[in-house]
Amino acid sequence: MTPVSKYLPQSHRLRLAILAAVAVSLFVPLVARLWYLQVIKETAFIERAADNTTETIIELAPRGRILDAEGRVLVDNRASIVVTIDKEEMATVGENDLGDLFFDLATEISRSGSLTKVSQIETAYKSNRYGPFAEVPVVQDISKELQIYLAEYSYRFPGVNTTVTTVRDYPYGTLAAHILGYVGLLSEDELSSVAGKSKTYLANDEIGKSGIELFYEDALRGTPGSKVVTVDKFNNILEINEETLAKAGSDVQLTINIDLQALAEQELERGLNLARQQPTKFEEEGVVIFNAPAGAMVVMDPRDGSILAMASHPTFDPELFVSGISQDDFDELTDPGNFLPLLNRTIQGQYPPGSTFKPFTAYAALDTGLIGSRGILGIDSMFYDEGIFIIPNCEGGTCQFQNAGEAAYGDVDLRLALTYSSDVYFYNLAASFDILPGFDLESVQVAANSFGYGVRTGVTLADEGSGRMPTPASRREAYRQNPEAFLTGQWLTGDTLNTSIGQGDVLATPLQIANAYSALVNGGTLYAPNLGQRVLNPITGDTEVEFAPRILRDIYFPEAFSEPILDGLAGVTTWRSDIGTEGTAYSAFKNFPHEQWPVSGKTGTSEKQVESGLIADYGLFVGWGPNPEPEYVAVVILEEAGFGGQVAAPVIRKYFERIANGTVPRYLNQDELDELARQKVKEDRLNRINGTEEPNEEGEGTP
Amino acid sequence: MKVRSSSKKLNLNPSGDPWSPWLHIDIALVLSSIALAITGAFMVYSATRGNNPELYDRSYLNRQLLFVGFGVAAMIGAAYVPYRRIRELAPMIFWSGMVLLILVLTPIGVERNGTRAWFEFGSFQLQPSELCKIAYIFMMANYLERFNGRLDIRQLGNALLIAVVPIGLILLQTDVGTALVFIAITMGMLLIAGAQGKHILLLTLVGIFLATVVWSSGLLQDYQQDRLTSFIDPESSQTEAAYQQTQAQIAIGSGGLTGQGFGQGQQTRGEFVPEQHTDFIFSVIGEELGFVGALIVLGLFAILMWRCMRAARKSPDLLGTLISCGVMTLFAFQMFQSVGMTLGIMPITGIPIPFVSYGGSSAISSFVGIGLVLNVHMRRYQVVR
Repeated sequence: MTPVSKYLPQSHRLRLAILAAVAVSLFVPLVARLWYLQVIKETAFIERAADNTTETIIELAPRGRILDAEGRVLVDNRASIVVTIDKEEMATVGENDLGDLFFDLATEISRSGSLTKVSQIETAYKSNRYGPFAEVPVVQDISKELQIYLAEYSYRFPGVNTTVTTVRDYPYGTLAAHILGYVGLLSEDELSSVAGKSKTYLANDEIGKSGIELFYEDALRGTPGSKVVTVDKFNNILEINEETLAKAGSDVQLTINIDLQALAEQELERGLNLARQQPTKFEEEGVVIFNAPAGAMVVMDPRDGSILAMASHPTFDPELFVSGISQDDFDELTDPGNFLPLLNRTIQGQYPPGSTFKPFTAYAALDTGLIGSRGILGIDSMFYDEGIFIIPNCEGGTCQFQNAGEAAYGDVDLRLALTYSSDVYFYNLAASFDILPGFDLESVQVAANSFGYGVRTGVTLADEGSGRMPTPASRREAYRQNPEAFLTGQWLTGDTLNTSIGQGDVLATPLQIANAYSALVNGGTLYAPNLGQRVLNPITGDTEVEFAPRILRDIYFPEAFSEPILDGLAGVTTWRSDIGTEGTAYSAFKNFPHEQWPVSGKTGTSEKQVESGLIADYGLFVGWGPNPEPEYVAVVILEEAGFGGQVAAPVIRKYFERIANGTVPRYLNQDELDELARQKVKEDRLNRINGTEEPNEEGEGTP
Repeated sequence: MKVRSSSKKLNLNPSGDPWSPWLHIDIALVLSSIALAITGAFMVYSATRGNNPELYDRSYLNRQLLFVGFGVAAMIGAAYVPYRRIRELAPMIFWSGMVLLILVLTPIGVERNGTRAWFEFGSFQLQPSELCKIAYIFMMANYLERFNGRLDIRQLGNALLIAVVPIGLILLQTDVGTALVFIAITMGMLLIAGAQGKHILLLTLVGIFLATVVWSSGLLQDYQQDRLTSFIDPESSQTEAAYQQTQAQIAIGSGGLTGQGFGQGQQTRGEFVPEQHTDFIFSVIGEELGFVGALIVLGLFAILMWRCMRAARKSPDLLGTLISCGVMTLFAFQMFQSVGMTLGIMPITGIPIPFVSYGGSSAISSFVGIGLVLNVHMRRYQVVR
């Protein structure tokens, strides 16, 4: 040790030592803390540093398009400019300033043409869907001009940005709205149900909510791309570590033909309008009204079960759902007072099929042998229809049944019973099933089930109704659950009678009826109706998946059964010169080109008690042609519109007439549109060269 | 030049050769301080060069190296003239410094981060409070030496009257951190100057009392209070201060034992820690050089402080001891406070790590401090009276 300076007294050496000790002691917590942070907690901090500096950026992929059978684009995508607010940047802004900002923003956006309420922006901004650092989309679909304006005056709108997203576009407007459906923001439930899917979903993603958009969600949805990047504090990207490119969703081609679809919607609406013009009728049972508020129409190809058109009235504009529907609009679309425009009546509307059901009762009688060489009636044997049927040994309930309109048709065989739509003839069959030993009282139900009544058709759309085929068991169950609605839980003979003519508790969707008739006219093959034809690669157009016709079952339906039934139904639309009589839809098909396009059909009318004293009829018609190998089966139902033969049959007649004459209005496809545009450019150039003023042309283009 | 050191016991310099004291220069002190400064300059470079390898920003590095150059020059200057000969200048230097501290409060001064502590000359800033630290040490040493190592209450009071001037002026800049440095220096020097234990205790109690009064008086802005308290639980707090400390700890922790390598720190490259090139430079050291590198830096400080204490012990007079102890206290406190806040065990007070942090005023004043200690150390054999 070097000696300490002599001037220093002992006490000073102590003081120096104290100071030195204090200085040394300072290192202890520093080193301990360093050890703790860098050695003990190293892994945790490395993770947190990675959290800080790596970020995954999701790049959204466009949804696939939806095409019609000819490849015309029914649902497309278009770019939409969205105003977003950066929540992180706004976190420090006071409530008042935020309110001012919302007000200024709403003013500017409204000034640009899309009227926007302050509350709308506020609700969007405060939605708990977004995290504290999110860019919250507040207003959708603004103009390019406004986007530029907002960028120029960004100092007035701190934290306000714009981004471009793709949204759904509907080139044909409301056409096929129920089939196509719509997309919307994922709900909480949907978010949890899509967890683990290969195409990742984010909290603010869109998903198909109904129709094809919902059913083919997996195909239509694009595969989002992602980038794992290293970022700095200001989220500047320093380097890209990993990148997967976004992949556009596949196109889905439908069996729908947009021309047939447009015609169906048009004829359905025209039919309802005409029905509405009938004067109110005053009858004994009450006042018959013709409000005709709603209806449905389905056109199928019976040869493979594909759906060609599906119209439901009233309809809606899917454009309303683009970038989020307002609550007011949604409430209107789901209001029963507006007759539920969102409801796809072709698969969700359940109606008593009425007389359209009779061919299946006929099939039951043939199949069980009730009609036939050893049955109660031969196929061609006459039964005397006196207009009234009284149940033998009636045990209760209604015992006396009448034909509609109290008509008496006299001698009828099976064919004529179908042609005239004689209720009494079928009551007689039903009563026999009920009473005769050796016959199953549920024979009609069994036959109807095999044609698809009472079960979902399996169409490629969600939320399909199953219809209802009542049985003694189902009656007991219904009574147990709701005793007030029924007089008794017991199945009476009268119930069998009602069932046999498609009344009582029988319910069917228009699609079920169309599908059952398809089997009836194609020789007994029951298909599950298809709407999707194939999935296409959006870039190459190659087929990725082809949806083959799906056969549910081959029904035992020999010529011996089908001939009399189809022959009887052929009479419905014609005048039979051989016996000098007309079918129930003869007047509707007067002057129809029967020779070149033979058409058959079946009318149906089911009564509906609207409220006490008010009666309304559901008018139904099923038609098909050209016979003998029909390519089209069409079903139409008009609610509260009148008799099927009077209001529904004309709709199908006009529809088939266009097809028979080849005058279905045609929408152009993309190639044809392009060609048209090219021609127009050429003409314009010629006009300019000739120096002629371009005439003001409007209304040209697609029909 | 003649070398003469035949007998270390002969504390004489009869020849009067002005170069002879340089033979007794403390190489370890010089080297450790320069090593710290060079390390610091390169860490500043890592923290500021940006992320584009083709356009690395060298301006901070160049300026810091320039500051270090100035600092070394200032160190030599401070060591050159025997400290006893310039002691008469101490009051003048000190009061000049006080004038600067007053001027900086006027519109001549520039405000940054809520603290009005800088003069601006073109692209250079001068922080007078940094330079005043050394002036203050010299002033106090000069004043306290005359009591020959024993202070009564009146002398202590007089010393405190001197201390109150710079501390008060710096508090007016709202620079709490620098004020604390002055308080630490004062306490350290009073201890060595012979203040009585009970007085030191009393002073501490009064200090605590005053701090409590100031804290609860509302004189401090919210953000200042946040900075002082957020280190207790930074994760639960949403303030900028808490963010800064949390990020600094993430940077240091992710450095692990051996660090991510120079220029490789992800947190540093992403500039997640605000002020990472100045007050929070230790986060860069921790992340890129790891536990080992951080220990080496702390070790260099330990050598520095040890050499200062050694100079204090070997000083031929109380003046030299007081100067050395003052400088040692300055470095010890600033190092502890600044590293401690980066590690999250001390409140944020915004003071640089001597030699290491970016900043000219700090670098120059730190080297002047070393120069003074060298001055004392190399003249340890010169008889005083």
